Amino acid sequence: MKMPSKKTLTDLATPFANVTADLGQHVAWLKSLRLKSLVQFNKQGLPSNKHEDWKYTSLWSLSQQEFTHKAEESDVSAEQCDQLALLNDNYRVVIIDGIFSAQLSQLDNLQDGLTINPLSTEEGLAKAQPDLGRQIDITKAGFNALNTLLMNEGFVITVDSGVQIEKTIEVIVINTGTTPNLATHLRNVIVMADNSQATVIEHYIGLTDNVSLTNVVTEAVLATNAELNHYKLQQESSNAFHIATLAAKQGSKSQWKTNNISLGAKLARNDVHSQLLGQQSHVVMDGLYLANNEQHIDNHTRIDHTVANTTSEELYKGVLDDKSHAVFNGKVIVHKDAQKTDANQQNQNLLISRGCEIDTKPEMEIYADDVKCAHGSTVGQINEDHLFFLRARGLDEVSARSLLTYAFAVDVLNRIPSEEIRQALSAVIEQRLPQGGV
Amino acid sequence: MAEEQQQIDDVLESDYQAGFVTDIEAESLPPGLSEETVREISRIKGEPEFLLEWRLQAFRHWLTLETPEWAHVNYPEIDYQDISYYSAPKKKTDGPKSLDEVDPELLRTYEKLGVPLDERARLAGVAVDAVFDSVSVANTFQDKLAEEGILFMPFSKAVHEHPELVKKYLGSVVSYKDNFYAALNSAVFSDGSFVYIPKGTRCPMELSTYFRINAANTGQFERTLIIADDDAYVSYLEGCTAPMRDENQLHAAVVELVAHDRAEIKYSTVQNWYPGDENGVGGIFNFVTKRAACRGESSKVSWTQVETGSAITWKYPSVILQGDNSVGEFYSVAVTNNMQQADTGTKMVHLGKNTSSTIISKGISAGRSQNAYRGLVRVGPNAENARNYTECDSLLMGDQCGAHTFPYIEVKNPTAQVEHEASTSKISEDQLFYCKQRGLDVEDAVSMIVNGFCKQVMRQLPMEFAVEAQNLLGLSLEGSVG
Repeated sequence: MKMPSKKTLTDLATPFANVTADLGQHVAWLKSLRLKSLVQFNKQGLPSNKHEDWKYTSLWSLSQQEFTHKAEESDVSAEQCDQLALLNDNYRVVIIDGIFSAQLSQLDNLQDGLTINPLSTEEGLAKAQPDLGRQIDITKAGFNALNTLLMNEGFVITVDSGVQIEKTIEVIVINTGTTPNLATHLRNVIVMADNSQATVIEHYIGLTDNVSLTNVVTEAVLATNAELNHYKLQQESSNAFHIATLAAKQGSKSQWKTNNISLGAKLARNDVHSQLLGQQSHVVMDGLYLANNEQHIDNHTRIDHTVANTTSEELYKGVLDDKSHAVFNGKVIVHKDAQKTDANQQNQNLLISRGCEIDTKPEMEIYADDVKCAHGSTVGQINEDHLFFLRARGLDEVSARSLLTYAFAVDVLNRIPSEEIRQALSAVIEQRLPQGGV
Repeated sequence: MAEEQQQIDDVLESDYQAGFVTDIEAESLPPGLSEETVREISRIKGEPEFLLEWRLQAFRHWLTLETPEWAHVNYPEIDYQDISYYSAPKKKTDGPKSLDEVDPELLRTYEKLGVPLDERARLAGVAVDAVFDSVSVANTFQDKLAEEGILFMPFSKAVHEHPELVKKYLGSVVSYKDNFYAALNSAVFSDGSFVYIPKGTRCPMELSTYFRINAANTGQFERTLIIADDDAYVSYLEGCTAPMRDENQLHAAVVELVAHDRAEIKYSTVQNWYPGDENGVGGIFNFVTKRAACRGESSKVSWTQVETGSAITWKYPSVILQGDNSVGEFYSVAVTNNMQQADTGTKMVHLGKNTSSTIISKGISAGRSQNAYRGLVRVGPNAENARNYTECDSLLMGDQCGAHTFPYIEVKNPTAQVEHEASTSKISEDQLFYCKQRGLDVEDAVSMIVNGFCKQVMRQLPMEFAVEAQNLLGLSLEGSVG
């Protein structure tokens, strides 16, 4: 860390050198935040491979792109939007090419105690202000600084104390490809008051093979006894760059269940971070990555157990085909005095074809003694015995492999409480595994 | 409880038992490191030209390097100009040929440490190439080994008697370009052990060296090279104790192992260097590069280590699995107490087909110590059917210590099967209660539980070491749980 010049590559930042964001030019707090992030971004640039957290993921191809930040008008019909949506009859936020679409969103008759606003509105900014930027550290992550500097849109959800939101909130972010090389920087904020409960799905979709960059930060705050179910489905185009940070701070007895499914993008990077700040808080951090062709999918997770009696469960699974490359890095940090921590982390990988590569690193840093922590990581193939079992019952090789791969993958959905969401997501996974390949 | 606490405190406060300084006049170079120092060391040892050239290349390369900082350890910066790079016990005669000629003061030191160098050595069947500071002063069982064609001698002797072997293998596993400390060692290494087991030979006894650091302010730079030719077998033991010192002492050794077709090398270490006092003052910095190459098909290398000493331990005994069907093993117990820091683990690099590796690592942290496992399992694109199993468990004693796990797994072949699992826990109240209820006092109970925790590793140790290692564990930890 003493040699920042070696660990970051400021050259990589040049595609963003002369961009400014329109949003909140007149809002004082935002201006000062942007100024701070400008300083940070200029200092850090974007990380190079010398940076331990970016050891296996090169941003070289990203730095070779020229990005535009002005989206041309594009046309997505209501029917098209319905087809793309994971669920029907829900609250829906639709963001198209980085711009909120009031027309396609379904935000009528919101339940009492729930607000959903685009960040680009006055209400959105006002609701976001108390918590925006407090779950992430722009001094440690260049992309977060960049996001803070350029964020123009996003969603802001607040749930009042004691309110249980019955309908799922689905956020659909569509990249239409109308504007080639479009870069969008979204900032989402979810604020859960005491004893509240909600379910949010973030759904990223690319419609063409055009190059694009989505740099998104979602921040969540869970007050005492709040419960947030949060799912993310990423289906961006095969030439997209998708860089995402998802960070939550959790109060006592709060529960955060998150599931992160990465199917698309040429290069996808997820940073998921939970800070367990209150006793008896609990986090479930699951994820799935299916990669083929030359996709590169990188998942970094971090769980900070900062106080006593907190628990975490984590399961990430991956299936790699063709010449794809996946990276998993899971940190579990048990801070001093976080006694009675119970943490369990698993990462399992299925390699299907020659030429794919997995780099996995489950990490534990433990500074308290009365804890139960375990992690495991496996890399392997489809079990020949299982295959034989199915073949003996008349399935052909391809179907048998396909079935086993599917069974391996859908396992990560087991901890999703909602039957409806589980089925919708398994259907998406099934679609992706037609021939036993990914 | 108060009584127990007292007992515990007594044990914890007990002085480092192997801490004494042998009063022998040492012939040392003044502190400082330059090309001149390197030439001087080479001159004193009367080395051939190729070795001096190699040392100088290493030194020039070292000058271009920066101190690595990635490990999970903290220590004050080392002033490499403040270290004396050569120290040899003064010879009363020109090289002792039998035990009688060895400095009696030396022999007494070994006796205190329990080295079976004299009569006991013969009974124990152990051949000792005892390294006292930097020059090997006594060799036993030379004749018996010579009958088998086995070469077991100080490195400096091997340089003169078998320069072709040294030239062929030196730096072939750990290049001087490998890392900062390997480069430093290559430039200034003073002595070490050299072993060559010829084709088809099974070494009839456990080979053993005792490394000690004696003269104040002398960094010790050992170089060990072991070659097992086709179908050969050798078991090598390395044990360490050091006298008590207040200054930090640097130890940057390099160990290279080469296993040819169907050869097997078993390398066992018990490391009990001075760990510093309870406030972290003094103690050895143990920055070691150990690596084995399984060059031949069906070759096997097994590392077993019990690490209880040193203020900082920083080492990763590794195996490069080049030959098809080769096997690498790593069994480790690392104990840290007080202010000790350990960042240790292994690297298994699978290159050949059907290669397999096993890693069993047990970390025990007590006091205010930090204990980290850092390991790498890499499967190359051509390593068909590579197999790895890794298990690393940590035991925590006290709420001031830390236990960390950083396993790197890199797989580029779809036929590989790699499994890693790790767990962290403390000695449970139930276990303790169970033992105490049956009449064991706390220390015995802890010792029993810890030895049980480490059993998988301890049973890999040769008999000669097993007892010493068990005692060491008990001594390092007793009383850490109250």
